[in-house]
Amino acid sequence: MFPDLPLSFPMGGMDIAFYVVAFVILMTAVCCVAVKNILQSAVFLIFSFVTTAILYMLMHAEFIALAQVMVYVGGVVIFVVFTILLTSHLGEDAFSTKMPRIFTAFALSIAFVFVMVKCVLPTPDLASGIVNSPADYSSLQNFALRLLGNDPNGFIIPFEIVSVLLLMTLICAITVARRSKEDIEEEASK
Amino acid sequence: MFVPSVTHPIGDFIRDLVPRVAEYLPASIQSEDLNSVVAFLINAVICIVAVCIVNIGSAPILIYMERKVCAHVQCRLGPMRLGWHGTLQTIADVIKMLFKEVYAPSGADKLMFYLAPLIVLIAPFIVCALIPFDKNLVVADVSMGIPLIIAVNGFGVLGILLGGWSSNNKYSLLGALRSGAQMISYEISFAMILLFVVMISGSTNLMSITMGQEGTIFDWWIFKIPVLGFIAFILFFISSTAEMNRAPFDIAEAEQELTGGYHTEYNGTPFAMFYLAEYIALITNSALATTCFLGGFFPPCIGIAAVDNVLNMVPGVVWFFAKIYFMVWCYMMVRWTFVRPRVDQLMDFEWKFLLPVNLVLLVAGAAFIALGL
Repeated sequence: MFPDLPLSFPMGGMDIAFYVVAFVILMTAVCCVAVKNILQSAVFLIFSFVTTAILYMLMHAEFIALAQVMVYVGGVVIFVVFTILLTSHLGEDAFSTKMPRIFTAFALSIAFVFVMVKCVLPTPDLASGIVNSPADYSSLQNFALRLLGNDPNGFIIPFEIVSVLLLMTLICAITVARRSKEDIEEEASK
Repeated sequence: MFVPSVTHPIGDFIRDLVPRVAEYLPASIQSEDLNSVVAFLINAVICIVAVCIVNIGSAPILIYMERKVCAHVQCRLGPMRLGWHGTLQTIADVIKMLFKEVYAPSGADKLMFYLAPLIVLIAPFIVCALIPFDKNLVVADVSMGIPLIIAVNGFGVLGILLGGWSSNNKYSLLGALRSGAQMISYEISFAMILLFVVMISGSTNLMSITMGQEGTIFDWWIFKIPVLGFIAFILFFISSTAEMNRAPFDIAEAEQELTGGYHTEYNGTPFAMFYLAEYIALITNSALATTCFLGGFFPPCIGIAAVDNVLNMVPGVVWFFAKIYFMVWCYMMVRWTFVRPRVDQLMDFEWKFLLPVNLVLLVAGAAFIALGL
């Protein structure tokens, strides 16, 4: 009597959600490279990132999902949009690609898919790993203890190295961008 | 079959109720799966309706309040004619705005033009779903509340940038770029203050942050950590004002310079959505301040049993809304009292004052916790 169709997925709601999200990711990704306007493609890129974050969320990797939104939507893509707004001549001419470039892109993406499938498929428990892991396996607390732990399993040293590297980048950016004293004096004399 | 569930006393009540109603259905369509799916859908609808009522319902109240506060600050009366003390004025204005014709300026990017107001509305709605209004009144009691709030705040900047650019207007674009730069800068100190709260309360879940403040008024985070809590509260107040683009930091709109900023070309419903987002952000930021510093839904007990018993008789949700509206009143008084700084002064203030102070505050808070004071 009651149609058995959506309920025949082994995990019901989660499976349906996965296929919907995967479809949206594909659509936005295709739109991102297919639209002519560069700002529109940046917006589709954002939607693609957000749906990827939802995919992570479905796999219970909540912190990665939030980090994805925080870093890409809040940071990277905003700066991409800023750069586009400040530099390119929007609306004057839509950029077009020549044929060989399309073939190169096609070949590259096929190769990428091949490598990814080759790397991911041999993973043991690919289908059951997420379901069978304990409930708080990826909670913020466990994640933080692992990331900042100083036992052999922890990642405290890479974490510190990366943070020092980022600090260096920040200071370098400020040094490049700041006005020197001579510039300020020159402006004042004018 | 796995069906996501809304973990929540009201959700439990619905899950309990649905199988009992389902018994009256013909036996052939009864099943466990159907019951759980229906219960989930009903719960989801209840959550959505609750968020919409709090958000859309409070916007007219806030607009009325803003007009009255503004008028009394300037020694005027404000709206007085429509209804008792002009209470119907906002409703009339909302209806007028919704019935206006919606059109885009010529040469505008139509897709982006109509997408921008929608994107701006994402962040306030998501944040509102995380706020605990009472012990049992929270839509999404997620473990990573604070990171989620910081993450979705980025959508506001994006919506403003897109709206400003797609209007095909110089003033809009200038306003959008200015406000984008402002919001990105102040987001950093906003996140730092929330980090301070996470550090002292030891949790990223808004419910447990609130539960950590149970007790008297001196257990609220603003007073519990001497001096530091109060400084953090003031810094949160400043950075959230800038984050919301409200005066004195309304560089984005600055009507004297930019004829209205990023929403110059908007009219009718899209304009109403920008306006709505602004006022919902006011509610959610006040709610965040209340949750993180002012004890959430706990009454301001003072340690004297007779007084506390009376205060505890008032439901938590009433205290919560009282605190929210107190915070809103503070934001409004600031808006109509202070003058607007220049763009460069605004940026200097963030990067040369707020951010260093925030970093010092974080270190001081860490020292406070490590020494166990």
